[in-house]
Amino acid sequence: MDELTREFLIESQEGLDRMERCLTDLEERPQDAELLAEIFRAVHTIKGTTGFLGFKRLEKLAHAGENLLGQLREGKLAADGTIITGLLQLLDGLRSILKTIDETEGSEGDGQDIELIAHMEELQSPERAAADQPAFAGAAAQSISAASPTAVADVAPPPPQALAAPVPEAAALPPQPAEVVPAPEPVPVPQSPVKAEAAVTKPRGVSAAESTLRVDVTLLNRMMNLVGELVLTRNQVLQATASHPDMTLLSRRLDMVTADLRESVMKARMQPVSNIFSKIPRMVRDLSQSLGHRVRLEMEGQDTELDKSLLEAIKDPLTHIVRNSMDHGIETPAVREAAGKDPEGTLKMRAAQEGSHVIIEVSDDGAGISVEKIRNKAIERGLITAARAATESERELLQLIFVPGFSTAAAVTNVSGRGVGMDVVRTNVERIGGKVEIDSHVGQGTMLRLRIPLTLAIIPALIVRSVNQSFALPQGALSELVHVPPAQADKLIEWLEGAPLYRLRGKLLPLVFLDRMLMPGAETKAAGERDRFIAVLDADGRRYGLVVDGLADPEEIVVKPLSAALKDIGIFSGATVLGNADLALILDPGAIAIRARVSMSAEETPEAGTAGEENSETAPALEYLLVEAAGRRAAVPLADVLRIEQIPVSRIEYVGSRPVLNFDGQLLPVEDAGGVLAAAEENPAAQIVVVVCREGNRHVGIAVSHVLDVAAGGDLFEAGASQRTGGVTLLDNRVTGVIGLGSVPPLPDEDVAPGAWEPIEEAVR
Amino acid sequence: MKGERTNRKKKAAALVEICSVRLDQALYGIPITHILEIVGSVRPQPVPLAPAFVGGLIHYRGDVLTTVSLRQLLGLPPRQGSQDLLVLESSGGFFGLLVDAVGEVLTLCSDGHEPNPSTLDERSRALFAGAYKLENGLLVMLDPERLDPMRLGAAHAA
Repeated sequence: MDELTREFLIESQEGLDRMERCLTDLEERPQDAELLAEIFRAVHTIKGTTGFLGFKRLEKLAHAGENLLGQLREGKLAADGTIITGLLQLLDGLRSILKTIDETEGSEGDGQDIELIAHMEELQSPERAAADQPAFAGAAAQSISAASPTAVADVAPPPPQALAAPVPEAAALPPQPAEVVPAPEPVPVPQSPVKAEAAVTKPRGVSAAESTLRVDVTLLNRMMNLVGELVLTRNQVLQATASHPDMTLLSRRLDMVTADLRESVMKARMQPVSNIFSKIPRMVRDLSQSLGHRVRLEMEGQDTELDKSLLEAIKDPLTHIVRNSMDHGIETPAVREAAGKDPEGTLKMRAAQEGSHVIIEVSDDGAGISVEKIRNKAIERGLITAARAATESERELLQLIFVPGFSTAAAVTNVSGRGVGMDVVRTNVERIGGKVEIDSHVGQGTMLRLRIPLTLAIIPALIVRSVNQSFALPQGALSELVHVPPAQADKLIEWLEGAPLYRLRGKLLPLVFLDRMLMPGAETKAAGERDRFIAVLDADGRRYGLVVDGLADPEEIVVKPLSAALKDIGIFSGATVLGNADLALILDPGAIAIRARVSMSAEETPEAGTAGEENSETAPALEYLLVEAAGRRAAVPLADVLRIEQIPVSRIEYVGSRPVLNFDGQLLPVEDAGGVLAAAEENPAAQIVVVVCREGNRHVGIAVSHVLDVAAGGDLFEAGASQRTGGVTLLDNRVTGVIGLGSVPPLPDEDVAPGAWEPIEEAVR
Repeated sequence: MKGERTNRKKKAAALVEICSVRLDQALYGIPITHILEIVGSVRPQPVPLAPAFVGGLIHYRGDVLTTVSLRQLLGLPPRQGSQDLLVLESSGGFFGLLVDAVGEVLTLCSDGHEPNPSTLDERSRALFAGAYKLENGLLVMLDPERLDPMRLGAAHAA
């Protein structure tokens, strides 16, 4: 296939994609001249170029479509549902020919499109126009009145004349828009706004074409690789030149330029989610017609950007989810009305960026998923035992819909219900390091949330040591770390018939020794001989502790693929080059769990246990980080804690009177109501702990002397009141003050007004 | 494939350039047309659970290169100290070959090449591509295509 044809195919595909978007919009705003002009342009461009390239079949079909669109553009026809359906058929017809050309390298196939062409002609016949008369007159009058109010009177007459045109003649002759309407005077009037519109939009299109450039994705991938390499070299240069004062300025500059370059290249790979969202309206329209449902689609955050490869990867999962919502979620209008709901269902799609992830939510207000149904089906299929099904929480039972082959649908429809789908969704999303969450309430609807990492190439990871090597553990799966000192190893790590276990806050956590897994034959040292660390991991609902020999720094790692021979080992997902130029293999927490036969178990989910103790409580108890500062205890909501840093007190600097921490170039206000900084002032080498928390859109640090524990807090009620008291919670049966992060003032404010650190005695009123 | 190449060379000039590598006392040869780069004294990162022939990973120009240890491949005992790395190109991509030491590049006449002897055991026959007769011994030819970790991995699995 020659370059010209290939270019034509790409351009036409883009044009048709635009046309599809416009068509679904057109249904809501049938008079929008700009939309019509855009659609017309797409088809017209195809027609023009095909004539030149000699694709006769494509030209004929495009020509038929163009005629119909011409009528619409000139306001002689109104775009009603039938016409839009017809235009969508035209779109599919054009697409299939383009596909044939692409697949056969330049032949458009011998198919005939007589029916489709005839349909295009039929749609513009006066008879149909007559049927649509009221709508048409209204549409024409409106579009004109906007441009020149005086013209309205002139335009009114054409309808009867158009009606008068003999039907057989119009059908026999190839439609010629100029002749169908015999009245010459009004024609220029409705045309003028359209022409003006075209004149306005054209230059915009041209300038976009001039300022953008098509780039091969492989070239972008290569650039990304090179930038990753540059980041590593920079890290090494920075380490090497740290002691040379002359080099400081140069290496700073190198650092800055590298960071900028990395961001730009990453941005170049980003595409708005609207690229895949735009396919949804058409799908919803077709599905609601074939299913007889009425659905309103709401979309939000379409300009959220995501790496191109990730966008490709979530296209299919998203289609599956929307199909499921349309088929199983949203009920028929009759059923909805009977249930007292709006007969028109709502399907919401929302995309937003949250930190280093993009969240895509698809929610419907349909029937929801019946947990009872899932329970029965799961027992029937032998997926879980009846005893376990009775004790599992609703949330866990909902997870069963991701099991391959699981479907609660009574009947298999051609849209969905075969039980393939949700497991494919989960597999595809997890393959790119994302997560799928589901939330459903019977009668209220279902929400699926996809958490997608911003980019595949660079991920945050914790570097751990085992068998005298460094390994990278992706932070996404890591929930906490536990230190096991040698003296306590025997007591902390318990054994049950050869299976090591650890009591994490009263619950047993299965342990996997990394060194035993990596060196199956070798005699590994007993746990008691050295420090061990347990990385508590949560991989696809499998919760376990990975025992490693040491912890190094967290690092942003550039993921490099492994060759096939090493991929077959199964527990490494890639390799990376660390800042010190060492190589590290990236561990795959999910694969390790599967190899160690850690199952998805009910007891291991944190919500389950607390709910059992106080089963009248529906909301799970909040978890708190218990800290100590200068002899007093306080609590920080665990959900707000980002990380815990141990630093020498000398690293704390002051802006005015406010203590701040310069953390990787970001300034972190440090809250010291506990008096830790003041106490440690005389000894600059003293270590303090800074708990870094999220507060709204900013981060704040809280200076403490120690972190004591993580515990679930109980609500306290003031005597005589039924209102929950804020600011205090019950931890380990002791009343503990909760640090109000909101009271930490933002940095520019000079006045310090904390007050969260009340002594415990005072906190109890 | 090797035969074809030698034939083609023969027509142009009957001389081929071969990089010699040493493993203990034995001499092996690799056609220089397949060698991308020679890197001296490398310390590859071992890969736990990897097939025996894998010598580890090497950071090479922004990529992580899987290496094949010729020693481990031939079932020779491991040797202390650093090794030399040959970056080779095969139809499947790049990979590294770890050898004790890289020797000189020899220009040999293709007439001196003989195919694998029929008495050679099957495993060696799969790896070697004949030998050149030198004055002081044989130069056993290695074919990069046959050393590709992907192919070795497939054979290993089977």
